[in-house]
Amino acid sequence: MQDNKSTLSFIGKFFNWLGESFLKTTPGKLFSLFVQTILSFFSENRNLRTDFRNVVLQTFFTGVEIFPILFIVASLFGTVVIVETMSIMSKVGFANVIGNVLAVIIVRELGPIFTAFLIAGRSGSALATMLGNMQINSEIDALSSMGISPIRYLVMPSLLGGVVAVFIMSVCFCISSLGMGFLISKFFVMILGQAANVQLTWHYLFNSLVNALTYTDFIMMVIKPCVFAIIIVINACYQGLRVERDFRNLPKATSRSVIYSFLYIVIADALLSVFYIFQYMGELSKII
Amino acid sequence: MAEVLRIENLNFSVYETLRQASAGKNVISKIFGNLFRFSTLSSRHILENINLSLNPGETLCIGGPSGQGKSLLLRLIAGLEKPDSGNFFYFGEYLPKEKHSALEIALRQVGLVLQNGALISNLTVRDNVALPLRYHRRGTEKEISEKVNMALDLMRVSSVATNFPHTLSAGMLKRVAIARSWVMDPKLLLLDEPTAGLDNYNRRNLLPLIDNMRSLFQTSIIIVTHDLRMADELDANLIFLHNKTLTEPHSFDYWLHSKEVFAVQLFRDLQKRDGLY
Repeated sequence: MQDNKSTLSFIGKFFNWLGESFLKTTPGKLFSLFVQTILSFFSENRNLRTDFRNVVLQTFFTGVEIFPILFIVASLFGTVVIVETMSIMSKVGFANVIGNVLAVIIVRELGPIFTAFLIAGRSGSALATMLGNMQINSEIDALSSMGISPIRYLVMPSLLGGVVAVFIMSVCFCISSLGMGFLISKFFVMILGQAANVQLTWHYLFNSLVNALTYTDFIMMVIKPCVFAIIIVINACYQGLRVERDFRNLPKATSRSVIYSFLYIVIADALLSVFYIFQYMGELSKII
Repeated sequence: MAEVLRIENLNFSVYETLRQASAGKNVISKIFGNLFRFSTLSSRHILENINLSLNPGETLCIGGPSGQGKSLLLRLIAGLEKPDSGNFFYFGEYLPKEKHSALEIALRQVGLVLQNGALISNLTVRDNVALPLRYHRRGTEKEISEKVNMALDLMRVSSVATNFPHTLSAGMLKRVAIARSWVMDPKLLLLDEPTAGLDNYNRRNLLPLIDNMRSLFQTSIIIVTHDLRMADELDANLIFLHNKTLTEPHSFDYWLHSKEVFAVQLFRDLQKRDGLY
């Protein structure tokens, strides 16, 4: 390493310094853990059978157990969004763009973000606590001393399971918030006896939603949950593995695994929405 | 045959950050001094100039008062800590400092049993023992299960094979941990306090198991222990960590009659009981 460095030019040295100082920061460490996790997937001693079992267990742990809560949150939130949009949009005379608003709010933003928040709060914290406890009980040390890479054995299955679970759960969120939201708001309208006045039919809602969705929405529906899942799992594992045999660090690690996941998710969401701005600019030039 | 392990001039120190408020005379400099605390990095030497060599099939006990860094020395040998300086040779092969990691050393058939056993808590005893074999794909599932059964029988824990670690007693945890290290056929086994916290009965059961392993499989063993009688019972050489460095290896009887101050202190109870005083 030292020899390579001395042969570098001035610019090379600058970039070397830049890279090394990036790797010393927290985002740099998270990035390096992510790269190591991806590389560990291709390491030679992989046992697909054990891996598959771990991944399935992790998916169940991350996803399926959270489903009831996610279902209720999604349904009620869908109701709120549909009812509020209906009332506002009819007032200002944009009743025909309800589908667009639902697409933007639920499919693009709320679905992935809410799912990611719920899973960060539940599975992220659980993962950080588990790894922290393993670190305190020297189980991580025992794994390394048996030649088992903790990243390969613990982080990689969690990452795969997390990605699968967050993706499935965010699709579930979208479907249940639109479907149950429609049913519950219909129920409200029926109770209030305004069924004749309020034009809320499934046909109308579904059609305007299908018209509003573009192919980029479907791409984003895959990309966003994956990015959020990577952030949740890598951050939780990083915080858990950092505990270093000190009980005092465990509560800190757990809370950090949740709070910093929220922060990074929102940052990533903002960065991903830059894509929509570019798309809008492209359409703008077409219109002009 | 080459030595199993050779350590030359090993040094290790821990670094601690001390936050000190700068001393000031008047109020303003005190306030500013407290606002801008200076972090200083202070190092504390734990091990200095450690030399050690171990022959194949040899057993070595490392003793000494607690807090001297015996467990740390074992962690250094297993690669869980990085040394400041020093040369490590495993089975005659030099291991450079940048490769000094637990994963690298584990490939060289070095097994470590930690003080608390450190079994993976969400796996059963059987899965714990089978874990390294499955991960490194040592044979088919049938061969693995045969080997695991053999290890569990050898350590006499086959009755609890389907239990989870939190249901086991301390002695059983240790025996399972030894079984888990043993299934990988280590040429060098590092045991950290194998008899600590065990009652006399379990201790008496454990020692023949260690002895069996040594005589049947030619395993070299390093044991860190406070239980000095173990060296006598295993007929092993005893070495002390004293004043940050290791003494010469000698037999139990040599140290029992030694006039060295630390040896006299450590062996006082044993000598009294043996009626030597």
